[in-house]
Amino acid sequence: MKLCEECRKEAAAVFLKLAVNNKITEMHLCPACAAKKGMGFGLETGAFNIGDIVGNMSGYFKDFLPPEKKTLRCRGCGLKYADFKESGRLGCPDCYSSFEAQLVELMARIHGSAQHTGRAYAGGAELKLSKAEAARRLEQLRAELNEAVSREDFEAAARLRDAMKRLGNGHA
Amino acid sequence: MPEMIKSFRPYVTWANERGAWPDMIFSTRVRFARNLEGFPFPNRAEPRELAEMRRLALTAARGTGLFPRGHFLKFETLGQLERRFLVERHHVSRLLAGAVLPAGAAVSNDEDLSVMINEEDHLRLQCLASGFAIEECFAAAMRLDEALGRALPFAYSPRFGYLTACPTNAGTGMRVSCLAHLPALSRLGRMPAVLENLSHLGVTARGIYGEGTVALGDYYQISNATCLGRTEGEFCQNIDRVIRNLIRQEISAREALLKGRARLRTEDAVYRAIGLLRHARTLSYEEFMQNVSLARMGAAMGWSVGAGYSDFNQATLLMQPAHIQAAAGKALGPEDRDAFRAELVRKTFR
Repeated sequence: MKLCEECRKEAAAVFLKLAVNNKITEMHLCPACAAKKGMGFGLETGAFNIGDIVGNMSGYFKDFLPPEKKTLRCRGCGLKYADFKESGRLGCPDCYSSFEAQLVELMARIHGSAQHTGRAYAGGAELKLSKAEAARRLEQLRAELNEAVSREDFEAAARLRDAMKRLGNGHA
Repeated sequence: MPEMIKSFRPYVTWANERGAWPDMIFSTRVRFARNLEGFPFPNRAEPRELAEMRRLALTAARGTGLFPRGHFLKFETLGQLERRFLVERHHVSRLLAGAVLPAGAAVSNDEDLSVMINEEDHLRLQCLASGFAIEECFAAAMRLDEALGRALPFAYSPRFGYLTACPTNAGTGMRVSCLAHLPALSRLGRMPAVLENLSHLGVTARGIYGEGTVALGDYYQISNATCLGRTEGEFCQNIDRVIRNLIRQEISAREALLKGRARLRTEDAVYRAIGLLRHARTLSYEEFMQNVSLARMGAAMGWSVGAGYSDFNQATLLMQPAHIQAAAGKALGPEDRDAFRAELVRKTFR
C-alpha cells in the first residue's frame, strides 16, 4: 500500500500529476490531504476542482515557496513575506520587486516559467488624483522624508523627494 | 423594482445565437486582470484608497468611449438583488457581489464589455460573446485594455508582466474561456476522464459561475490554467485547440447516443425533459437546468423541441433567481420563485 506523501499516515488514494507548461510534478495523496490542497475530487456531486489548483492555492503556496528570512518585507506596503505565504495574496505592485528572488522560483512552479513573453506595456497617463488624496500622499511622503533624513538614509530621502515632485506639488 | 435593474434590458443581447458551434459552445470570454501603479492591491487598501481608485477607473472607462449609454455602478448603492442580478449576467463575480468596501463596475450598453473594480485586482476587464468566438472576443478585450492602459498607469514589470494581487494571474493577466455545453459526454459518464485529460493540457474546468461552482446543466467553463511564459496568442491557440478537441468528443458522444437501442432511450429522455418544461407548475433553477440541457441537445439532434439556441441561451440566463424576481417586479421567496419560473418556462417552450 502506498502511503500519502503529505501526512505519511493514510493510504494514498489520489494520484496527482500536474503538467504545466512542460513541467511535471507527481504526488500520491490521501483524500484528506488532497482536499486540503484544494483538490476535493467531488465528481460524484458534480463539483469539480481538478486542475483548479491554481485557483485555491494556500496549501500549494506553503509547500512550494522557498525558505526565506522571517523579516523579509515589501519596501512599498510593508507586507511581510511570511504573511504572503499564509494568504497567497501580495500587497502592492512593489511586492514583486521586493520579493523578486522568491517569486521567480514560485512563478516557475506555478506557470512553468518566470519570464513574461506576452504583450509589453507602453505605459499610461499619470494618475489624476483628487486634491484630498494628493494632499494626503504628500503629507505622508513629507513625514517619511523627515524620518529618512533624521536617520541619514539619503538614498531613501532622494527617492521620496522624487516621489513628491511627481505628485506635482513641488518639494518640502 | 430597483432602478438599476430597470436600466438593463429584459434580455441579454450578446447571448443570442451568433458565433460558431452554438450547439456546444454557449459563450466565449476573455478577461484581463490589471492593477494601478501607486495603489496597494484591494486586499491591503483602505476604503478611502478604494474609493479614489474607483473614481479613477470609472472616469477612465467613460473616457474610452467604449461604454456609450453604459452602466456605471457603485456597489454601496446596490442591494442584494441588484448585486445578484449582475452576477447572473456574468458581469461581476460572487466575490465582488459580496463586497462591503467601495467596489464598482462599468458595463457597456450591449453588455458585451465590462470592468469590475476593486475585486481581487483593481480592474478585471472582460469581453463576452456568444458561441465559439475567441479571436473576436480577444480583439475586443484588447481594445478595451489598450484604451484603459493609456488612460491609467498599469502596474507592469518586464520580468513578471502585468502585476496582480495573486501571482497565479500575473504575466499576461489573461484568462480566455469558453462555456461548453457537454450533455452527451456527461450522460455517457465520460466527463471524469475528459476532465482528467484536460488537467494535462494547461487548462482548468469549472462550473457555470466560475471557481468552485458545480457543473449545472452540463455546462463547463474551460480556461487557461496559467498566464505567464507564453504570449496571449499562444494561450488563445491552446484553448482553441482544446475546445475543438472537446467538440469532437462531444460529437462522437452524441453519435453514440443515437446508435441502435441507445437512440430510443435518448429520445425518451429528451422528450420527457421537454414535457416537464412545458407542463411543470413549479421548477427550481437546478431542475430547469437539468431539463433544458437535454432539450438543448434535442435541438442539436434536429428534433422539434419548440425552441432555438437563442431561446435556450436567454432562458439559461433569465430563469436565474434574481432575474425571476426582476421579471415578477418584486421580491419572491423560493417557492413563489419556482412557481413563477415554471410559468415563464411554459411560455417559452410552448
